[in-house]
Amino acid sequence: MSHKIALETPLMHAYGQFSHQQYRANSEVTRGELGFCVVIKELPLCSQLNIRGDAACQNFTSGIQQVLGIELPTEPGCWHFSAEHSLYWLGPDEWLLVSQGPSPDLEAKLRAALSGHISLVDVAGGQSILNLRGAAPALAILLKKSSVYDFGGWSDAVDGRGRCAQTTFAKASAVVANRPDGSFDLVVRRSLADYIGRWILDAGREFGCRIEG
Amino acid sequence: MTKTSQINRLSAHVCASARTDTSVIINFTYNGRALQGVAGDTLASALLANGVNVVGRSFKYGRPRGIVGHGAEEPNAIMQIGSGAATVPNLKATQVELYEGLESASVNGWPSVDFDLMSIAGWFSRLMPPGFYYKTFMYPAKLWMTYEHFIRKAAGLGRSPVEEDPDCYDKLNQHADVLVIGAGPAGLMAALEAAYAGARVIIVDEQAEFGGSLLASTQRIDGQTAAAWVDDTVAQLRTFSNLQMLPRSTAFGYYDHNFVGILERRSDHLGLCASAGSRQRMHRVRAKRVVLATGAFERPLVFSHNDIPGVMQASSVSTYVNRYGVAPGNQMLLFTCNDSAYQTALDWHRSGRTVVAIVDSRSTPNGEIMAAVAEQGIEVMLGHAVIEARGSKRVKSALVAPINAQGSRLVGAVTRIACDLIACSGGWSPAIHLSSHTGAKPQWDAAIVGFRPGSSLQQERSAGSCRGTYRLSDCLTEGADVGAQAAQLAGFGDAKRLFALPHIEEYGEHPQQALFLVPHTKRSSRAPSQFVDMQLDVTAGSIAIAVAEGFDSIEHVKRYTALGFGTDQGKLGNINGMAILAAALDQDIANVGTTIFRPAYTPTTFGAIAGRDIGGLFDPERHTAAHHWHVRQGAVFEDVGQWKRPWYFPRSTASGSVETIRAAVDRECLAVRNSVGILDASTLGKIDIQGPDAAEFVTRMYTNSYLKLAAGKCRYGVMLKEDGMIFDDGVCACLGDNHYLMFTTTGGAAGVLAWLELWQQTEWPELQVYFTSVTDHWSTATISGPNARRVLAKVCDDIDLDKNAFGFMDWRDCTVAGVGARVFRISFTGELSYEINVPAHYGRHVWETLMAAGEEFDITPYGTESMHVLRAEKGFIIVGQDTDGSMTPADMNMDWVVGRNKVFSFIGKRSLYRSDALRADRKQLVGLKTLRRSEILPEGAQIVFDPQQSIPMSMQGHVTSSYYSANLGHSIALAVIKGGLSRMGQVVHCPLADGRTLAAEIVSSVFYDPKGVRQHVA
Repeated sequence: MSHKIALETPLMHAYGQFSHQQYRANSEVTRGELGFCVVIKELPLCSQLNIRGDAACQNFTSGIQQVLGIELPTEPGCWHFSAEHSLYWLGPDEWLLVSQGPSPDLEAKLRAALSGHISLVDVAGGQSILNLRGAAPALAILLKKSSVYDFGGWSDAVDGRGRCAQTTFAKASAVVANRPDGSFDLVVRRSLADYIGRWILDAGREFGCRIEG
Repeated sequence: MTKTSQINRLSAHVCASARTDTSVIINFTYNGRALQGVAGDTLASALLANGVNVVGRSFKYGRPRGIVGHGAEEPNAIMQIGSGAATVPNLKATQVELYEGLESASVNGWPSVDFDLMSIAGWFSRLMPPGFYYKTFMYPAKLWMTYEHFIRKAAGLGRSPVEEDPDCYDKLNQHADVLVIGAGPAGLMAALEAAYAGARVIIVDEQAEFGGSLLASTQRIDGQTAAAWVDDTVAQLRTFSNLQMLPRSTAFGYYDHNFVGILERRSDHLGLCASAGSRQRMHRVRAKRVVLATGAFERPLVFSHNDIPGVMQASSVSTYVNRYGVAPGNQMLLFTCNDSAYQTALDWHRSGRTVVAIVDSRSTPNGEIMAAVAEQGIEVMLGHAVIEARGSKRVKSALVAPINAQGSRLVGAVTRIACDLIACSGGWSPAIHLSSHTGAKPQWDAAIVGFRPGSSLQQERSAGSCRGTYRLSDCLTEGADVGAQAAQLAGFGDAKRLFALPHIEEYGEHPQQALFLVPHTKRSSRAPSQFVDMQLDVTAGSIAIAVAEGFDSIEHVKRYTALGFGTDQGKLGNINGMAILAAALDQDIANVGTTIFRPAYTPTTFGAIAGRDIGGLFDPERHTAAHHWHVRQGAVFEDVGQWKRPWYFPRSTASGSVETIRAAVDRECLAVRNSVGILDASTLGKIDIQGPDAAEFVTRMYTNSYLKLAAGKCRYGVMLKEDGMIFDDGVCACLGDNHYLMFTTTGGAAGVLAWLELWQQTEWPELQVYFTSVTDHWSTATISGPNARRVLAKVCDDIDLDKNAFGFMDWRDCTVAGVGARVFRISFTGELSYEINVPAHYGRHVWETLMAAGEEFDITPYGTESMHVLRAEKGFIIVGQDTDGSMTPADMNMDWVVGRNKVFSFIGKRSLYRSDALRADRKQLVGLKTLRRSEILPEGAQIVFDPQQSIPMSMQGHVTSSYYSANLGHSIALAVIKGGLSRMGQVVHCPLADGRTLAAEIVSSVFYDPKGVRQHVA
């Protein structure tokens, strides 16, 4: 039996939606005459694994390094990344691994490299990553509207490492991380993506804000 | 410019210091009258420019009242601004910036401000003695309704719009190393030093312009005007990228952990219904250090009829002249007990109007400013006091008499002096409100005749006049020092001042006199009213009455007299009131103490507190992967936790009408029992559990054991809290070695995960087990009914679906519709059921494929209502509906799920053996069948055994679930009844609120297929 398999990201239905202070007619948007200071871009689906283990265990940290080629972030609130993999610190014994493209055997490779008490869970279906880019003051204000966390106190991200925090976002939660280009990534729960998308559109209305895929 | 209406507007060349621009005329209305002001005016300064005397009527006595102050302290000029949906009640005219087209109206005054029935009738004051509310509440209670009618009408507290608020409000979470509150001289210096040290600084001020008292000052700083110094300093602040300036922003509350609430008015000064952005923004600031530089309020003087329009604060008169270019009168009499108010005489004299005299209560003052006054030829009456103002809607004269050195009694004849303005100064009271919010106890300081802020309870320091430092040079020094120290404590700089302090020429001052109540020829209780709190009409006499009636605590007197209860929080009246009370009690003010100031400092709009958490953003909505399919099918949704779940799927009939819920649910339920239905079960909580001790841990959490559960198998379990009461239930599957998947109820998911983590982290850290929420990862479509296997077989060909190969309570990894899936053969309907789980990005695809595959069987989507009916037919409980946190498994007739012989025990086991848990008459779950088959018992209905019993009847239980069952052809209900399991066959009664009593028979809670053969069906 053959099936044409359709994939749906959680925010797909909202691509093209926008909010704008000076919005008067749709034609102005289609003609590209309105400036959008903030853009939410939902990133393509990728593989995501929730990792739990003992950071004090040499076996565990070196196994991760060996398979992924990046060091496990053990400093609270940091993420490490290469072109292929990103590792977000979520807690003293919990990380999120995001990998570009399909990598069906990644979990197996990790399990083979890691021994002892660990947990690897596929969470790719439950989360979506939204990239938030725009003019610096607009982005900062939008984040201040959305979370009680002090993102302004972060050092800038550099190649290979940045800051991240799993925190409140509006009345939901998100993992927020800064990127070297000044934009922010939000890892949000699938079921709450629509609410968060609507929240950001509303919060970004004063600057002009749109959602793209 | 035309000056036709602005009789009190000073020309620009007379008043060069004014911040107003007389070349820009602004039209506005007041009580329907068209008036004009100029750019830079407040509503108050514009009204005064137009010679408006009466701006309201007093709360109790209906006396005409005029503008007294120039800021947050104003008690009288309370206005309704705008009309229609965007109208705003209770704004102080002194804080409303004038804009073109502004509509204003007095809120106090019935039937009108200028003609007031109440004051003519004059009976109202007799109706409302001090303690009126208390006395009225006590006796006679019946009359309260009558009083209330008049009180409400008389109080005239403004009108809230009934329409939806058209404005937008939002909130910003801010973080600062140093938050400076107040941008007067001390605040500006503090911000400058802290920003220079490198700290992240936020400086806020409630006024449109930074500068505070300097905006109305005639002092020279470093040889330039005070205003020019402010401009330079603000320009300097603007160069710091680490500093944020918030004008028009009121810090209204100082809460724990250095959390400060700030209301920014972003467009109120532009007019109603701003077209762009938010009208007001709430800044929720968390600061490492806070510098309070909130200034001070001038204290009024309490003498007879000191409330007649034309009696004003001396500093306010100076502010109107110097800052706004408005002279609110012609013949000014200045009444003071200190040096600082002499400046007002100089300012007034310079405006070209007449200073009648300065009345100084002190006998021998010798401050340096006296020479300056003498130079202008202004008469000074030393050792005198204004004991009474005369006039009705405007001051016409003042009664002046000599007083003794203590200021306690008159020592000579009373003379009458004609004037139309009495400027008063009783000294200064530090604005210690925000410091008080932190719980710091204010300290009385006789040297400054005022309360200083108490020792800090938070990471804050006060600077400048809000801590009783009044000389400008001292304010600047203190502000700079405190700013540098705050930065250092937050981790920046070395606490040393970096900026040179400016040079200021100042007068040497003579100490002020503490004068809280000016004596009259009659004692307070007989003298014409001496007002202490103007907004609530509290007089010196009423405080005396409160003391005579036995009140001796300031907190009691405050409540008895309503002193400081108004929207101005007694900013003017409180200190005088406390001092008068202390004198009446013959105590020190320090002993009497002060009342506690609480947030909000000034009234704060609800819109700003709500922010954007309104309408569709009020609460997060969680959507399943198939949500948009449900929407397109016309599903009616129900909120389950934050999830939107389809409640039922009404179909349109041929005639174009839409099915009722009853018709839809009957159809859906019959389809499941007769063919196949499909339910979106994605919302169930799912927790992935891994680790060598996973089986042991799970077994401790559930009442039954999972130690021997094999991979590929599932088991139903119930979780108890320590008290033995059911708190969640669900299926748990063994996925492989040391690997389990736990299902929870939809609403219980987060609570169960937290519960697992709590026990692992705090009680059993030796158990090696990790938990990960996978609720969102999986999208679940449940197909249920006799044709379920046939549907699944069409889309899944890589496992054997034979009932022996894939039995009840088994699960399999397989491929469904081309997608890797986990299929669980578990059932909540009692029919053959498969719960098909796929990663959620494929959820919609798999759902639609199943719909297509099921078409030949007329597969029917069903919602939560049908799910409830179907499970009730089988007697399956829903935790939270049939249980309420006080039910044990035995109460639910589910003892079979309790493994009493487990090696380690399980959470709640011990509590199951308490005598109360073993009582025979506990409420137990049973089925109910109404004697009239079509009658449906209301859920929550109380159950009695004897319908004839007189009230109060003996409640024997209640209905927990109740539906009409189309499959059975009659209504069914689940109920908990005392000793119910031993009462099978008995008839019970449900007396309803509408007078009917429904009778029902107690039956088994399993109504359908009691042997459970259908879920095992081939």
